[in-house]
Amino acid sequence: MNTNYLLSHKYKILGWILFSIGLISGIFMVFSGFESTLLNTKVLSIFNNGILNNEDVTFFKIIENSIVDEITALFIIIGGLIVGFSKEKIEDEFIYKLRTDSLVWAIIFNYLVLIFTIIFIYDMTFLNIMIFNMFTPLVFFVFRFNFLKHKSQSHDE
Amino acid sequence: MTNNLKVERAIHDLTQADLADKIGVSRQSINAMEKNKYVPSTVLALKIAKLFDKPVEAIFFLEENE
Repeated sequence: MNTNYLLSHKYKILGWILFSIGLISGIFMVFSGFESTLLNTKVLSIFNNGILNNEDVTFFKIIENSIVDEITALFIIIGGLIVGFSKEKIEDEFIYKLRTDSLVWAIIFNYLVLIFTIIFIYDMTFLNIMIFNMFTPLVFFVFRFNFLKHKSQSHDE
Repeated sequence: MTNNLKVERAIHDLTQADLADKIGVSRQSINAMEKNKYVPSTVLALKIAKLFDKPVEAIFFLEENE
């Protein structure tokens, strides 16, 4: 299969490591309520409309912020992308089809769930759902792809 | 589309893994084809036919409604 956007197979492990750490840390953050002062660091905020603390609109300001959530999000996204888009040990047209099928499935499933939550969930709870929604397409994709891969590997010679 | 890959494999005494190895695909592909869950590309069908030294039509068949 000629695919020019897939990474080499050797990155797969790195992807799984980042993805796992990200997910574990993410789940931990959900239960601890997203608040943390760990790793407080000076960061560059390009734009802040100040809506959350009734402050003025600021541009390009150095602020203090715990970067635990940023790192977690980046680990999940980068790890997930690497896992989903690095080559299998034997990359062929069938694997390629599984990958694209999983992507289609993940997008449709994700937005069906989102439609449901738009209709039935409101206020801050909905914003919480949106946080999950940053990652669910990728997470669904990775799990669906690996599930199909293992299913088609099973039994008989 | 259906096929008699399994029969051809038996004739040549090849396991799914052997066949996959010979034509450079994953074992999952062979498995999926034999279960009629996957229609191979023309390239792959031709490779398999070449390996078994038969015309493609002797291995892959259209089904009634196709």
